Amino acid sequence: MKTQWHALTKFAAAVVMAASFGAHMCSTARADDDIWLQLQKDVFGTRLIQEDDGTVAIDAPVRAEDAAVVPITIRVSPTVKGPLKAMWLIIDKNPAPVALAITFGPAAGQDGGWRQFATRVRMDSYSNVHAVVETADGALHMKKVFVKASGGCSAPAPKDSDRADDDLGKTLVKNFEPADHNAAFREAQIMIKHPNNNGMQMDPLTRNYVPARFIREVKVMRGADLVFTAMTSFSISTNPNFRFTYDNAKDSTLDVTSVDTDETTFVGRSKQVAAIQ
Amino acid sequence: MCSPDQLRSPGTTSECETNAVAHVLGRCSCRRTLLKSALAFTLAPLIGRAPALASTTLALSEIAPGIFVHQGRYELQSPENRGDMSNASVIIGNDAVAVIDTLGSAQIGRELRAAIKAITDKPIRYVINTHMHPDHLFGNVAFKDDNPAFVGHHKLRRGLEARSQSYMASSKDMLGDDAFAGSEIIYPTMSVDDTLTLDLGGRSLVCEAQKTAHTDNDLIITDSKTDTAFFGDLLFSGHIPTLDGSLRGWLALIDQLEGRKVARVVPGHGPHAMQLPGAILPEKQYWSVVAADVRKFIKDGKDLMEATKTAGQSERPNWALFDQYHVRNVTAAFAELEWE
Repeated sequence: MKTQWHALTKFAAAVVMAASFGAHMCSTARADDDIWLQLQKDVFGTRLIQEDDGTVAIDAPVRAEDAAVVPITIRVSPTVKGPLKAMWLIIDKNPAPVALAITFGPAAGQDGGWRQFATRVRMDSYSNVHAVVETADGALHMKKVFVKASGGCSAPAPKDSDRADDDLGKTLVKNFEPADHNAAFREAQIMIKHPNNNGMQMDPLTRNYVPARFIREVKVMRGADLVFTAMTSFSISTNPNFRFTYDNAKDSTLDVTSVDTDETTFVGRSKQVAAIQ
Repeated sequence: MCSPDQLRSPGTTSECETNAVAHVLGRCSCRRTLLKSALAFTLAPLIGRAPALASTTLALSEIAPGIFVHQGRYELQSPENRGDMSNASVIIGNDAVAVIDTLGSAQIGRELRAAIKAITDKPIRYVINTHMHPDHLFGNVAFKDDNPAFVGHHKLRRGLEARSQSYMASSKDMLGDDAFAGSEIIYPTMSVDDTLTLDLGGRSLVCEAQKTAHTDNDLIITDSKTDTAFFGDLLFSGHIPTLDGSLRGWLALIDQLEGRKVARVVPGHGPHAMQLPGAILPEKQYWSVVAADVRKFIKDGKDLMEATKTAGQSERPNWALFDQYHVRNVTAAFAELEWE
């Protein structure tokens, strides 16, 4: 746990740094593919990571049509037994590379099928995307994919500027009834209305950069049990969207709390929706 | 007759091609009045895929008395097309000239200006942009010395300022240094809050600011004399529509637009001129199919990635550039409609 805490602290520091120098860093080309070696050292220290061992899979478009909204799904194989401890989503060449650092709780569930976590990210340039999962035994497993997408960091977020801040923090939580009631996992989706400004978008009125303001933490509880806590960076797209599996129990109501970098807290409770077809 | 540019455009009508070939063979008879500046009409660009030459004349086709339209190619920006991939229009009044959209680079904008100067010596008093996208507006700079009013939707300036860096960077990247040279963003100097009437002498142009649809700064312009409406990118024909505003807003607007009583309508991408309501029905169908498919995915609890793989694919045969834009459209539609 100590190492993990260390990693999260470093992550937080990286976010703050990138937020301060975001505009500058976005324009700095970091062509070196060896960037991962440094990232790995920063986030995981000297811990051993097993790559391509069949534990982790990533679904991502080879070429993302919209670099500001790149769908990424991390999946963990049914062969993995026991609860998961943690998961990271790292976009090597983004100004804040660690998009997600997740700590799972007891309500995330145990084995019995594919576990997955999906979100949408911004991508600043063509980059490797790394997913790392820490299993119950403390081992780290990794998978990477290369995604062609660029310009997503500085792309202005709102398509309809006047409505960008409407309902700031409005949180919708969909709780999908599984087709098989006895399934080990069920799925839920969290949608948070938030521009997730990354400090790289110019304010049209002042010609200055919009200060970074983004969701930095998302906590999901089922009753008294933690599903997960995620530390998030501005690599997550406008209107942060998370879709994940968790333990399929009778009362599956979820309570979601998110906090942004202006220390504003937003909450939402799940609504049951129809079975997945 | 048509210019070589039109011959290479996949959107060129067969009538136009026939006329152009007829011209080459020296026995041209055109139904439309097509104009080119006096300089250099060479056969060279007709052969193979030779890059457009600076001396190539930009074709303007007279679709109604005093209204000339240049048809852009159905392509992405490239060093070869130099941003000539949208429609630009010219309206000539008794006193002055208005230009609606200026193509996608300083260079091609200068050619548009040269083609206008070849048909009229009246002053260019207004340069109107139908919306913020670079392929309609990066040619503005070529008209700077004419000191026109640059006219746009009241949200155009904000939209452009927010995107100026990414527009400059991506246009440079796509066009290459040569074709991009001299391009800069010229901001509107005259803003349309609701409607604005511009007098050209003997005819006036009515500009109407629209609610968010293709973008959040779409303008429709109507010529009083000929009842010709310029829809900008609220109307795509042949070239797949692209979404950078609101799908729900656009579909609602299409319902109004299809019933408009006008003599003809000029699309932002498509033929020189078309008739309503037929002109807008394929676009209406495209967005209706995308919206219905995406809503079904959302209702069934499917995620964005699944939707991008199959939603709206039945529309593939109907559009040029489908592979370049469709998935992005589905992504934007999904991100909008999931909040319903």
